[in-house]
Amino acid sequence: MTTIVRARGLTKTYPGVTALAGIDLDIPEGRVGLVGANGAGKTTLFRLLLGLARPTSGTVEVNGIDVAQDPIGVRTNIGYMPEHECLPLDQTAADVVSTFGELGGLPVRAARQRASEVLDLVGLDEARFRPVGGYSTGMRQRTKLAQAIVADPKLVLLDEPTAGLDPSGREEMLALVARLGGFGIAVVLATHLLDDVAEVCDHVVMLDGGRLVTDAPTTTLLQRTGTVTVDVGPAAAATLAAALAGRGLTAMLDEHGATVEVTVTGDGDLDWVRDVVAEMGLPLYRLTNRLTSLDDVFVHRGPEQR
Amino acid sequence: MSRTEQVGAVYDRGYRPYDGPRGGRRAATAALYRTSLRRAIGLRRPWRQKVAPAALLAVAVIPAVVNVGIGYLTRDTPAEGFQFITYREYVGVSSALLLFVALVAPDIVCPDRRQRVLPLIFARPLVGRDYALAKVGAIFTCVFAFSVLPQAVLYVGKMLVSRGALDYFRANTAVIWQVPVAAALLSLFYAVLGVAVASLTGRRIVAGASMLGVTLVSSTVSAILIHADNGGRVVQGNHPAALLNILALPLRVRDLVFLGRIGEDSPLSGVAGGGILAAAGFTAVVAACIAVILYRYRSVET
Repeated sequence: MTTIVRARGLTKTYPGVTALAGIDLDIPEGRVGLVGANGAGKTTLFRLLLGLARPTSGTVEVNGIDVAQDPIGVRTNIGYMPEHECLPLDQTAADVVSTFGELGGLPVRAARQRASEVLDLVGLDEARFRPVGGYSTGMRQRTKLAQAIVADPKLVLLDEPTAGLDPSGREEMLALVARLGGFGIAVVLATHLLDDVAEVCDHVVMLDGGRLVTDAPTTTLLQRTGTVTVDVGPAAAATLAAALAGRGLTAMLDEHGATVEVTVTGDGDLDWVRDVVAEMGLPLYRLTNRLTSLDDVFVHRGPEQR
Repeated sequence: MSRTEQVGAVYDRGYRPYDGPRGGRRAATAALYRTSLRRAIGLRRPWRQKVAPAALLAVAVIPAVVNVGIGYLTRDTPAEGFQFITYREYVGVSSALLLFVALVAPDIVCPDRRQRVLPLIFARPLVGRDYALAKVGAIFTCVFAFSVLPQAVLYVGKMLVSRGALDYFRANTAVIWQVPVAAALLSLFYAVLGVAVASLTGRRIVAGASMLGVTLVSSTVSAILIHADNGGRVVQGNHPAALLNILALPLRVRDLVFLGRIGEDSPLSGVAGGGILAAAGFTAVVAACIAVILYRYRSVET
């Protein structure tokens, strides 16, 4: 797979703070999640990718172009959606997106036409002719996404695109992000919400305190844990856990006490679980392999790795 | 129900990649210039935003119309040739220009900082210098147009009411270059001063008041110093403190363009090297403003 961002020894320090500490990165095309807590270095990395900040040391390339050598060339093919409010409030979304299309190098007519198309795409049709100042958070986020993709960039940097959205708005935004890959636009999605990354990204980069924690495909991180989750209803969960332990299995309640998590070493253990549930006459609602979550990956890293 | 839910579904109208021509830094700067110019003259904005430029144009043209009217009414009379206002005096004579810049410069500059649009702009293929050029260029264009258009009305009008249009043209050839040059210098001065002051704050009202304050305070201080030094007597000219009047500096330079020296009606007249001092003061103010603008719009943090 083509590498769209390559960093080597990338370091950025501010007085008294090391925002990025010599990270090496190879971000492939596709949808990449950039995960980290506040202050992990996500926004600093974006600023370095856009050429808006100079690295203290190290190099970074975007689309094969060295950002330090040709920041304008890099920015010609990047769309950027900041986390913070950044829209001119007294202008309509149609004017805002069209203007940013022109700023991205599109001719006037093409910019207006594409503004119309991408505003349709993000679900702002009639509302596009109203001033942005009267928009809800969700509509503003959609407008921000529209201006990021209006010039048809090769790469789009999305900084916390679901911030402040209600559940349905979040789902719609993630659905849009998921579709961008199909349009031939590589996506780097910065967020501290691991669920967002697990839902739409096929590669994960984790930062913590300016250091690289993980740079790997999402599928290699979300692997089987050797534990199955047994759901027989919350009322019977404790009884089942005790019964399974009596048969020599390692079984314990989950953190909510609603399901039983059983360590299995082979198919024979699964048969035991099935038989015990049947003997006790319990309803078996669910028996699933438990996968690691991104939270597990992030939280359970040893201090030497973090 | 939230408004997000009301606007609801994401429509699948597809996505078409763009494979047409694509400009670079120059195109981005031109786009920002066009956007700023549209905003300055109120295009695609509510009618309230169109009042200032329309009023300015009206106010600026009135002296020209009056002058042409006087020229027409005094034809073939002893008062023929009376000039209500000369071409030189007409450059920068209207304080409406200053008011316009104090209104418009903050309007096209301050919201970008206050509403945090700058990071989005600088994520496009342009740099801080381009941003500054686009904003200064937009104000320059407005002030220049509003300075030159009334002069064109005056010139054409007087040519038409004169005894011989061709004779009038021959007798007034010099103003064809003097007016644009003087208006360009005046427009440059106002544009860089307006953008520099507006770049220092995100609040339009503060920027506008500061712009007026800087010019009015400097002219007041200059007047007080001249008055005090003359023992309270009103004396015309011959005082270097007139250089402190920032508002009048472009008028001194205008005199240099039209007359090659400081005008007799200037408080700087009679001062040795007054013309050079005025040009130096003008250049210093413009250079300082440009330095402030470039500093405030550094697009890259080091």
